[in-house]
Amino acid sequence: MRFLLALVLLVPVLAQTAPQTTPAPAQDQPPASAAPAPAQPAAPAAEAQATPQASADNPAPTSAEDFHGSIDFGYRWLTGVNGSMDEYRSVVNLGQGPKLFGLEFSLRDPGTHLFDELDVRAYGWGGDPYSTAHADLRKKRVYDLSFDYRNIAYFNAVPSFANTGAPGGFDEQSFDIHRRALSAGLDLFPGGHFVPYLAFDHNSGSGQGIETWVQDSNNDYAVPTLLSDSTENYRGGIRIEYSRFHLTLEQGGTTYKDDDQASDATLLKGDNTAPIFGQTLSLSNLEQAYGIRGHSIYSKVLFTSHLAPWFDVYGQFLYSEPKTDIHFSEVASGNFLDVSQLLFYSGLVTMGTGTDNQPHTTGNIGFELRPLRRLRVIESLMTDRYHDAAAPAIAITGIVAPGTIFTPLTEPTAFTEYVNYNQQQIDVLYDVTNRITLHGGWRYVWGDAETLAGQLSQTGPLATGKLSRNTGIGGLTYRAIEKLTFNLDFEGTSSDDIYFRTSLNDYEKGRARARYQVAKALSLQANFQVLNNRNPAQGINYSFQSRDNALSIFWTPDAGKRISLMGEYDRSTLSSNIDYLTLPFLTSAVSRYRDNAHTATSALNLAVPGIKDGKLTLGGSMFVSSGSAPSRYYEPLARLSLPVSKHVAWNAEWQYYGFGQSFYLYEGFRTNAFITGLRLTQ
Amino acid sequence: MLRPPSKARLALLGAALVAIAARGAQDKPAAPAPQTTAQDAKAADSKPATYVGSETCQTCHEDIFKAFQKNPHALVETDKKYGHTTQACEACHGPGSKHADSLNAADIRQPAKLTAAAADHICLTCHLNQPTHIGRINGSHAKNQVSCVGCHAIHKNGPDGLVARKPADINRQCAACHTDVWASFMRPYRHRLPEGAMSCVDCHNPHGSVLPHGMQTVDANEPGCFKCHGDKRGPFTYEHAPVRLEGCPACHQPHGSANPRMLARAQIGFLCLECHANLPQPTLPANGTMGTVAPAFHDMRQPRFQNCTICHQKVHGSYVNRDFLK
Repeated sequence: MRFLLALVLLVPVLAQTAPQTTPAPAQDQPPASAAPAPAQPAAPAAEAQATPQASADNPAPTSAEDFHGSIDFGYRWLTGVNGSMDEYRSVVNLGQGPKLFGLEFSLRDPGTHLFDELDVRAYGWGGDPYSTAHADLRKKRVYDLSFDYRNIAYFNAVPSFANTGAPGGFDEQSFDIHRRALSAGLDLFPGGHFVPYLAFDHNSGSGQGIETWVQDSNNDYAVPTLLSDSTENYRGGIRIEYSRFHLTLEQGGTTYKDDDQASDATLLKGDNTAPIFGQTLSLSNLEQAYGIRGHSIYSKVLFTSHLAPWFDVYGQFLYSEPKTDIHFSEVASGNFLDVSQLLFYSGLVTMGTGTDNQPHTTGNIGFELRPLRRLRVIESLMTDRYHDAAAPAIAITGIVAPGTIFTPLTEPTAFTEYVNYNQQQIDVLYDVTNRITLHGGWRYVWGDAETLAGQLSQTGPLATGKLSRNTGIGGLTYRAIEKLTFNLDFEGTSSDDIYFRTSLNDYEKGRARARYQVAKALSLQANFQVLNNRNPAQGINYSFQSRDNALSIFWTPDAGKRISLMGEYDRSTLSSNIDYLTLPFLTSAVSRYRDNAHTATSALNLAVPGIKDGKLTLGGSMFVSSGSAPSRYYEPLARLSLPVSKHVAWNAEWQYYGFGQSFYLYEGFRTNAFITGLRLTQ
Repeated sequence: MLRPPSKARLALLGAALVAIAARGAQDKPAAPAPQTTAQDAKAADSKPATYVGSETCQTCHEDIFKAFQKNPHALVETDKKYGHTTQACEACHGPGSKHADSLNAADIRQPAKLTAAAADHICLTCHLNQPTHIGRINGSHAKNQVSCVGCHAIHKNGPDGLVARKPADINRQCAACHTDVWASFMRPYRHRLPEGAMSCVDCHNPHGSVLPHGMQTVDANEPGCFKCHGDKRGPFTYEHAPVRLEGCPACHQPHGSANPRMLARAQIGFLCLECHANLPQPTLPANGTMGTVAPAFHDMRQPRFQNCTICHQKVHGSYVNRDFLK
């Protein structure tokens, strides 16, 4: 154990991320970070059947050990990325080098008064793009402390996402950032029925990217930007827990800041290099800075009650009032054009201040009534309301020449917006027999909204909408025998009002699911899902159909001692047609989207002959689609694990990553990743 | 014509409600769920079974008993709060005297063999009144007969004993039923679940939620997406209506997509124009009123206009520009 503890402390130190020289996202660079998902055989659906959850009949034996742990570390090589490095980093982003693939340990009853239980796990350290750490510390009847940290690298630079015809080549709409999230929670158990608690959440994003600076409709310029935002949430409260009722009183607060910046001092011609009225537009200098600050306090009350053996009730109420203070400044120079005045000008200064208040009230209440032994009636009601009052003061000044200024456009100085959403639902469940349960119900959602329309909106300064939708619900659960269950769900909807042309309008949604344990060593699961949505209104003619069929199999002869097979196949189809108006002539056209995909995952585990605990795993995943974005993505995997001693195993792994698109051939990539390392267990 | 209720009747009704509430507030364990199984019916033939204590159970179920000592539920054995001191086994399995006498499995309640609702009722005797279950009654698992023991192993101990806690284990457990959803995560643009960096419960609350699809809530009951994507949360001076009205899935396929940034369409132009295609008119259509067509200078024949977010880059909401340009 000492050896393992020493390694636990040593390896994270060795696996510190080397200073990362993240390049401008648009440039081809070797991956600066990497992520070793500890070699997932990519068939979790089937694997789960190997270890059926809730095996109440087979409890894990109590170990005499107080300490259990393992550590996986090693080295990853890449054979080099063939194809688009940007795309590789956008999709995979694994890098080379020494890695701490996984660390897990738990400590029970250590003989200290400080804690009874400690569980720690960490994955993907050493420069990988998904580094996580989690710890739980408990002392029974005293406290429960949890801590969670994630650092996820988020790289995205996909030419087809931006302007594939940019004169200077692909140079926009990309970023290379890290999003970090930290959560900590402390529950105290002073005794009795009162549980005070405190919690803290933090999430932030920082890094660099390329954004576009837009000069009206005339031109847009790719400029480097520094991204920086963070949100903190603090909350605390008390839970009052009795056997027949529970009440939670919580008070929380949030702070937010956004300090994005963009600057550039090079002469940029932008995406529109064609002369306008004989002049070429350009941006020669830009300084832009956001200083957004947000804060809110919220109060929440929750309750549940088991009032009688035949009656449960629950509800909650929340009120918050987030506020945002705006500070924005921008100074740009170059050669710009105001089309409405046919005026060329050389400078633009924008200063923005103001506030935004958004009171948010939400509440829901529901109950479950059991008037008969086999009958349950569930009723719920929910309301959610956002009312927004904005008072921005955005001053925009164009500079034609020193001392000659004008105002290109004005922004509104005060306006209100609102969103009201309500939902009422009743469900009736009836156990026809111990094996059959029928389920029926009705859901009604309604609401209204009013928001500010775009600057050049032709329908006035505000956009309004209503929502009114009735849904009938049906379902059946049939447990033919203990090893065979069948589940069927159906929803049918008719809408009087919806917000958007593509919203769910008149639709039918169905889902069937079956699980069958054919034999002790063989189990099957099948899923089928369908959604048909229609909006036949003139000028819309929306028709949407999606289907999904999935079949998974798990085979473990002799409890998987020598061989086990897990596999899943999924076939999905999606077809969408909707009328729209194509620009610039507002001609009617049909937007057609198709996505027909085959997806398969598998893992074949084989015992290595003659070597106890030696294991070879073959598998991986594949995705092939046709339609509007024909794509192929392969991730085959082979892994070998051989024991070196009682507590040490040697692991070797190969994984291939191959991605291709039929329409954007230059976005394909392929690479091989090799891993070798050790796994120490205690 | 209906007569208004008399004061006496109102007083009687009020008293009855107060009595129910008072009874509910008593600190007593709720009665175990009524049994519906055949073995219970058999047991009812003779004298009712009585509680015998966990030590009696240990006599035959030594392995389970020992394992249980490090299980979180072992608190039931010692904490008076739960009303089953020294009777932790029977808190869920019911009085065990008949089973102890006959050694017949049919003489004791076996939650794993009950209907989902009946099994849940046993768990919820203690667990209903907890904040994590605020949406349980409305949760799709409860309505689809997925019982607590479908995910929770009651007797197991250790860090992952009662329920999976490692992201990869959680994902396996969810994917065992939601195979079609898991297939979406094999697409190239996805949230990082297959890599083990996230788990299903980061976004979904399997116990139920006030939001659709069991979405987790964060802060002031806002969609769980904002737990990581706090910069999209606002409030913005200029909000983009779909973000509040229909949420992220209006434009994104959060499980996985073949399209960059998990978008629902291969080309952004179509994603936007499918909504922004309403002509200004005096009487707006009921079926999709929001989203008017863009001004005609957007010449979609030019590549620079085909991907709207090149210019409208603050499409989730803007602090300073109502057209989401900055």
